[in-house]
Amino acid sequence: MIRFENVTRTYGTRVAVDSLVLDVPRGSLLAMLGHNGAGKTTSIKMLVGLLRPSSGKLLVGPFDVVEQAREASRIIGYVPDQPFLYDKLSGREFLTFVAEMYGATPTEAREAVTREAERFQLGDFLDRLTESYSHGMRQRTVFAAAMVHQPEVLVVDEPMVGLDPQSIKLVKDLLRRYVDAGNTVLMSTHTLSIAEEIADSVAVMKSGELLFSGPVDALRENVAMTGHSLEALYLAMMDGEPSNGEPSGEWEGNAAEPLGGGPGVGGEGAHGE
Amino acid sequence: MANDRSTNGEAADSATADRGNPDEWDRVYAKCELLPSDDHEAAILTRLRLAMFWSHLRYLMHDAQLRTALLVVLSAFFWGGLFVLFHRGFEFVVSHVGPTGETYHAQTVHFVFTLFFASLQVMLIFSAGIILYGGLYSSVETGFLLSLPVRDERLVLYRFQEALLFSSWGFFLLASPMMVAYGIVAAAPWWYFLLVPFFMVSFTYIPCALGAIGCLLLIHCLPQLRKIIVGVLAVAVIGVAYQSIWKTLDMAQKDVLDATWFSDTFERFGFTRGEWLPSTWLSNGLLEAARQSGDFEVDNPWVESAKFLFVLGSNALLLHVLVVAIGKRLFRKSFHQLNARHARKRKPAPEWPDRIANLLMAPLPRRTRLLVVKDLRLFRRDPVQWSQFLIFFGLLLLYFANVDRFRQHRADLSVVTWVNVVSFLNLAVVGLILSTFTTRFIYPLISLEGRRFWILGRLPVDRETILWGKFLFAACGSWAPSAGLVLLSDTMLDVELIVVLIHQMICLLLCVGLAGMAVGLGAMMPNFREQSPSKIAAGFGGTLNLVLSALYIMLVVLMTALPCHFYLLGKQTELNASLDGLKQMELWLVLGVTASLVLGLLVTIVPMRGGLRAFRRIEV
Repeated sequence: MIRFENVTRTYGTRVAVDSLVLDVPRGSLLAMLGHNGAGKTTSIKMLVGLLRPSSGKLLVGPFDVVEQAREASRIIGYVPDQPFLYDKLSGREFLTFVAEMYGATPTEAREAVTREAERFQLGDFLDRLTESYSHGMRQRTVFAAAMVHQPEVLVVDEPMVGLDPQSIKLVKDLLRRYVDAGNTVLMSTHTLSIAEEIADSVAVMKSGELLFSGPVDALRENVAMTGHSLEALYLAMMDGEPSNGEPSGEWEGNAAEPLGGGPGVGGEGAHGE
Repeated sequence: MANDRSTNGEAADSATADRGNPDEWDRVYAKCELLPSDDHEAAILTRLRLAMFWSHLRYLMHDAQLRTALLVVLSAFFWGGLFVLFHRGFEFVVSHVGPTGETYHAQTVHFVFTLFFASLQVMLIFSAGIILYGGLYSSVETGFLLSLPVRDERLVLYRFQEALLFSSWGFFLLASPMMVAYGIVAAAPWWYFLLVPFFMVSFTYIPCALGAIGCLLLIHCLPQLRKIIVGVLAVAVIGVAYQSIWKTLDMAQKDVLDATWFSDTFERFGFTRGEWLPSTWLSNGLLEAARQSGDFEVDNPWVESAKFLFVLGSNALLLHVLVVAIGKRLFRKSFHQLNARHARKRKPAPEWPDRIANLLMAPLPRRTRLLVVKDLRLFRRDPVQWSQFLIFFGLLLLYFANVDRFRQHRADLSVVTWVNVVSFLNLAVVGLILSTFTTRFIYPLISLEGRRFWILGRLPVDRETILWGKFLFAACGSWAPSAGLVLLSDTMLDVELIVVLIHQMICLLLCVGLAGMAVGLGAMMPNFREQSPSKIAAGFGGTLNLVLSALYIMLVVLMTALPCHFYLLGKQTELNASLDGLKQMELWLVLGVTASLVLGLLVTIVPMRGGLRAFRRIEV
């Protein structure tokens, strides 16, 4: 459903994402992992059309996100790491606006807003201006906006930051149910326990390169650390993988995808990662 | 509603045929066909804007009544003042140059109109371009809208409308009193007043659209341009502009206002009357509309006026089409290009300003010095703060450096009178600009510390020290440039030593008083929920601070300016200069200065005491 075909993204001379090859099949949840500056957010921004790949191709469903940006964004729901809400609109007005932009009629928009408000428990706040919302409320409203048009693909950047345990549970259950219904989720996160709990597969990035992609069990086999948590595997991989791309220590390379053989690139790009 | 939905699937079909196009995508294509049509998209965005407008209006009416009232009253005052000024000016033209219909009258008004509108035309081009850049390329909202299936050209148009509104309100505020005043003085027929709004709107659209097109093209071409070429071009443009302005304005003082001067000036500004300029079409159209005709069958002014209106309207529509076409073609590409630039790593700031500040504050306790230096660093590293400071004080510097024209007429008593008045007005202007800075940047300081209070509140320093640190930073930071500017103004005007001394004392009083008021009120009415300093300053406390600051400045300046003015006048003219009269004026001057001192102390101490008391009790 999501396909990165040799996607590279540079900021001037700095390579933020290097020849990324990644496939996320329909009905699965992929968690992107990596340190700050690994290229996760850049990859996500390219996927949702906010950045353009320097080279390579990026497909969502049947659409090329560069050539058919409008069609691609119709089937994507996006929850950014720094969400935007119109301060002087109420939650209901905001969600109705988003629903109508995706082509819903006023009646359909009304129904969609009611559905998402129930799902994300926004009822009491829906008619208040969003400027009065707490961080958790804002995050839930942004999730509702991303889901209001029932997209086939949900792209979520750091979804759990600042959420209370109840909201975290809500989001986890939502993502899992959503994937089980045949949809696709690409999520970037630093919360490894949640990734382990709900993701079908993980993609580990470092300095713009993809180190591994596949199920967590496959990662265990590769790192030769059976029975360990994702956190332990991730840290072992990060510690054992020098920035020049040469495997060392217990890390045995990636069976699912070839390792990036190019030189490691340090530092962040112009926009976070 | 089905009619409002476009058939985007067709394009998708052809573009994706090479990928095998499995049947499973049918549902996806069906969804894309439901995307809103162009008109429907426009309607949704209009509804969004209206919803935000009503919400903001409700906020202004219920939660920001003081600010709203102040805005309305000041705008009305400004409009009324301009109207009176233009009305008197046009009456002067009628009485001294010639009545309406005469050649000299028509030439003079045409000269004024074309010059006025040509200047505003240039400003509109730049302001629309700059505002559109901010809205399209560096706004979080644009990022959000780009993640929705909005057409690129619609997004450009949505932002362009915003730029049009924000850049043209000043034009409406300046031009409307002039047009109404001329219509009344010239006893224009009713259709003149009917046509004025249409002329204004169609004219405004043209420079704003040109600014928008320039902005889109510039950002599109920017990555390909080498920095050195941009730099050389910018220097060349500034050089040519400076040379042109200098050449245009350079004239001998002795010739001012005689017939030759008028004729020379008329010629010098001939470029503002170019036939291809929209400002000329607007001027001609307005003058035709205001003209009376004896025989409508032979000479029909409103038809002549309508021709110019059609020229303006058709050009505006053509440029609208161009903005849409260029937006569709270039916007997304240029947005991505702009975001692909390498982020420059900031070099560490030089430390010498900190060392100088530390040296100057040597007698103060070390902790106070540390707090002041921290605020100084934040100020230096925030371009929004120092750039505004630089622009306003730079403009004042430019004005003060060129204010020496009065020197050539020192023998004239009326000029001497004006020198004193102008010197005090300059002082008041410095104070008023300073008050906007203390309201915008100093008043929110305490509120902004809310998020950093976990560190400040736990430091082993008294809370009073924190507040005094901010006061010192504001007072000292504003005093140095203000005193320098006032001294420059006094030097250029060549005022007497006593005036220089009084000005310096008042300048110090203003800096200390404005700093005390901003810091004290900021601590008494903090807003820890808001992160944006401009929003904090725009709240009730900020508006109150601005109003009180303006009142304080006016009072202090008036209390010293009037006695000083009459004292100097009495001394220089020796009119009835009996010793008693002069002594009375001296006493009046001393009383004025003393009252200013007392007021300055009150304005500093009272808010600071209140602020200190409130700051001690603050819980974040």
